[in-house]
Amino acid sequence: MIDLALFHQTLAPAALGDEVRALLGKPLRRASRFAQLAACGAWRLIPAERRDWPTALLWQSTSGPRGETLTLLDEMDGAGEPMPFDFLAAQPAIAAAQLQPLLPGLTHSLHCPLDRCDAADWSLLLGLAVDRLTGGKSRQVLCAHLDAWDDRLIAHWLLLSAEPLENPAWRLHLQEQPPAATPGLPDTPDLPARLATSTQGRLTLATAQPAPRTLEFVRCPTRIGN
Amino acid sequence: MTRAVYLAGGGLCCTAGSTPATVAEALANSSGRLAASALSLGERRFPYAALPGPLPQDADDWLRRAEAACRRAVAPLGALPGDVPLFFASSSFQIGHFEAQPAPRDLPPACASFVGRVAGRLGLDGVRHSFSNACISGQQAIQAAAAQIADGSIDDALVLGCELYNRSTAAGFAGMGLLSPTACRPFDRDRDGLVLGEAVAALQLSARPAGWRLAAVDSALDAFSPTGPTPDGSRIAALLAACLAEAALPPADIDLVKLHAAGSPTNDPAEANALRTVFGNAMPPLCSLKGSLGHALGASGVVETVALLACLDAGFVPPTAGFVTPDPEISLQPAVDRSNRPVRRVLLNGIGFGGGLAAMIIERSA
Repeated sequence: MIDLALFHQTLAPAALGDEVRALLGKPLRRASRFAQLAACGAWRLIPAERRDWPTALLWQSTSGPRGETLTLLDEMDGAGEPMPFDFLAAQPAIAAAQLQPLLPGLTHSLHCPLDRCDAADWSLLLGLAVDRLTGGKSRQVLCAHLDAWDDRLIAHWLLLSAEPLENPAWRLHLQEQPPAATPGLPDTPDLPARLATSTQGRLTLATAQPAPRTLEFVRCPTRIGN
Repeated sequence: MTRAVYLAGGGLCCTAGSTPATVAEALANSSGRLAASALSLGERRFPYAALPGPLPQDADDWLRRAEAACRRAVAPLGALPGDVPLFFASSSFQIGHFEAQPAPRDLPPACASFVGRVAGRLGLDGVRHSFSNACISGQQAIQAAAAQIADGSIDDALVLGCELYNRSTAAGFAGMGLLSPTACRPFDRDRDGLVLGEAVAALQLSARPAGWRLAAVDSALDAFSPTGPTPDGSRIAALLAACLAEAALPPADIDLVKLHAAGSPTNDPAEANALRTVFGNAMPPLCSLKGSLGHALGASGVVETVALLACLDAGFVPPTAGFVTPDPEISLQPAVDRSNRPVRRVLLNGIGFGGGLAAMIIERSA
């Protein structure tokens, strides 16, 4: 059984810097919007005593570094040699590297850009996360959907841990045959928000292909004092 | 469920040829050094390992050329089931197409929409997954596909690595001073940077037994600097050791190391340090393909796997083009002559921009 914590936020782009300073107590200089958004999510979900645990970050994005790409393309129209440092800083590989000083245990990062707006790849990310946890490659895995649109920044997060979390919202496990009639969640970017607002006790994640195992979410009882 | 994962077939379209057989022939019958095209950025020129034929000149050409390259790469695999899951790796996707559009540009809402278009042109309507993590994108696509085959979720997967001509990527690497103005010289004393290349490669992974088995694959993050790993190579060494442990192999069982060795002044020594940590004085033969193929970045993990397998299946280890003068700091020498030594197990190493690391071990299954 794997404990889950979840978090989601939507920010105006201009509010990101304040959010970072409020959480970390300092700005993240030269960090892309993705790196800052990732830092906020990781900081909220992972307690200080766990930040040096071997951690994987598996994230996906519909928008990708859209604004930075458009800026670069405009620069490329000029006659001179462009110096696309903002574009480079927004690359997923660099965003993960910028996160590592804040999360010293971050030892693995994978990024999946999406090719359609109405579907996400949580089933892939969660499957890989379960493999890493059960195989002992990571002690905790951050899975995320991050988007940076012109008018809003969106972050959906799940933290998976094979070791008990203090206040897990849900538990995740792989079922060979989940109980019949368990409601299914679609694999969409806002999966954590759907989990947060669901009133069900058990949910499965719908997959685009038949699978021998089903990802099942089981709600954790609310503890007194939470 | 944990099943074995096999490398069931490959296809390849790159500067050295349009099929695995022609690429193997090119790598076998010459010193291997690529006949590079020139890539222009402002007033500077850099060598570039282009596909045969002219570079694209307009938007329609870019997409048509990309689709044609993907079809050529997949062709040697024959008829694939339409629902075979696609694992697509690239670091630049269709940015070359966007470059050719006039401003103001209208990007599609989903950043990897190019993958849906390619899948459609290939007649694939199954599940699609895309991977973009700089130079280790291809290995991570292989890793994800292998994980799904191993756990029984799927029986076959098509892994497609695609990196095609665009000026944006080159501008980034040039801006950071990472490109060689002359040639790729892996592990050489006079190495002075990367030579970028374009390529598309297809690798079919399967639960059905085939000639080569994927014994281990993993990736890691070493954020020492945006452009390179920890100089002592300790993070790379840890990953290689983890892969050997996953494959349940001692270092002495590795017959060949396919280096990352892009000709980088800083990364090549880190890779050499890692290899010394893992193999000590019993260093297996080493080879690098980037002097022959250029560096295909997000596709390179798939491209170099397919190219190397083509050579090994043809019975030889390819020579390392571009290596001439040993570097005392590196103290390792990739083979410059073609070898017919039998190879049963290969360690393939990868180092990515931003600190990504990847390693795979493949072995003959019979």
